[in-house]
Amino acid sequence: MKKMLPESELARDERFVRTKIEDRIFDPRGPKIAQRNTGPARMGVDRPAAGERSRSLMHGIFVGEIQALEGAGRTCYDFDDDTAPFQLKLDMARQCWDESRHCEISVKLGDHMGTEIGEYTESTFLFAAACNPDPVFRLCGVNRALEGLAIDVFSSMKEFGNESGDPILEFCEDWMLADEVTHVKMGSDWLRRLTETDPDRRERALEFQRTVDAIFNLGGFRGEDDENPIQLARDFRRLAGFSDDENDSLAALARESTEQAREMAAMATAALDASAQGS
Amino acid sequence: MTRITVTPNPFTLVPYDVGEITALVEEAAALAGLPPGVDIDLTVDEELFAPLTGHMSDVVDGRVVLWISGGNFEDNRRPCHFSADQARVDLAVMMLRANDRLSDDFAAAPPDAELSRGERAAWDTYAVGRARALGIDVRRPRQLYDFRLQHGFTDVADAAFDRCWEARSITWDGIREICKETGATDRAPSKVPVDLLRQK
Repeated sequence: MKKMLPESELARDERFVRTKIEDRIFDPRGPKIAQRNTGPARMGVDRPAAGERSRSLMHGIFVGEIQALEGAGRTCYDFDDDTAPFQLKLDMARQCWDESRHCEISVKLGDHMGTEIGEYTESTFLFAAACNPDPVFRLCGVNRALEGLAIDVFSSMKEFGNESGDPILEFCEDWMLADEVTHVKMGSDWLRRLTETDPDRRERALEFQRTVDAIFNLGGFRGEDDENPIQLARDFRRLAGFSDDENDSLAALARESTEQAREMAAMATAALDASAQGS
Repeated sequence: MTRITVTPNPFTLVPYDVGEITALVEEAAALAGLPPGVDIDLTVDEELFAPLTGHMSDVVDGRVVLWISGGNFEDNRRPCHFSADQARVDLAVMMLRANDRLSDDFAAAPPDAELSRGERAAWDTYAVGRARALGIDVRRPRQLYDFRLQHGFTDVADAAFDRCWEARSITWDGIREICKETGATDRAPSKVPVDLLRQK
């Protein structure tokens, strides 16, 4: 079996359609919408298109769970026992079990919300973070950055379930949230153990985590304001072992990303308007 | 003779075809049983993309005035591309609601921008259920979820949903009665305007 599988070789059946993040970034409608008030991005029953936005996010979570399963599975297999201790692989195997369960729960939640597998496109940049050839970097990118994001996503979805009075959503998200806290803790523990005598490697791995965090802030996707659909879940992050300093720095990074997205949208709108006037 | 106007003409941000949309509007009007001679104005907001979806059906001075997000016509599996199947569903629902407005049964209904979210969810369910009966390929669980978001995840709400879904004739008073029954009427007014996406 091949080691270090690139994202282009992930197996999917005909229901899945893959998209590139650039397609959305270069969509001419993006800058126009960024200048408009489309209501609070934070999930709520009285925001416009609440149902459709929830379904779309739920499908995104579902494909994210598939890729998390694939990422943890690859970490079990890609490294020999000298590079990644057997105990680490056992933790990753347990994570595979959790992610498989999350896939099944997500499919059922999709049914509950009225969506179908493959109704929306799949972007595989989550799996891309799980392709790093250094297991420590991979753990930082996946278990600390991405599973940390999963804590924020599930916490936001759980709150939405609570607010909308949807017991099924609230219950399922709560259970998945508990698993994600464990996954982050596993990442933090192995980071500490594998870099005990190599502070330089630890710092470089943490830098890689910050890069992944910045990418997944996605220009305002995550933050602490109403304009961020996914809210930073400080309490659950604390339970998972993130320090207050780490949470503060992630919040600052998220604010920076939101501001950058706003500036880029303004620039893109100006460029589009100038081009329209010139033509 | 019905006059159909589609705005914008042409589309500049997405490759949607006015001729194709006009034909689908015509088809939906016939399916919904819109009386001949009623003019139809459809505005598509091409800046909006999925999942920023929504549509409105009003009658102004005897004309049917429709507004829809470009996201409703967008193929979820191929962003920026027009989906005739998706457009067919939404246009049928919009036209059935417009036809309701032309009847005495809904004469007292306020414009779409003034409906509560609960009223709108109940009326939509009534329209989507009829679209299904007319052979349009709709998805019940999707409508049920949207209904529950506004009326609650309760047995009372689900029973009300079934009535709206199966009904072939409900009046505006009937819609308001359903909202009372599920408690949607008692919910605090939405902090976000229901026509926010329509405002530029």
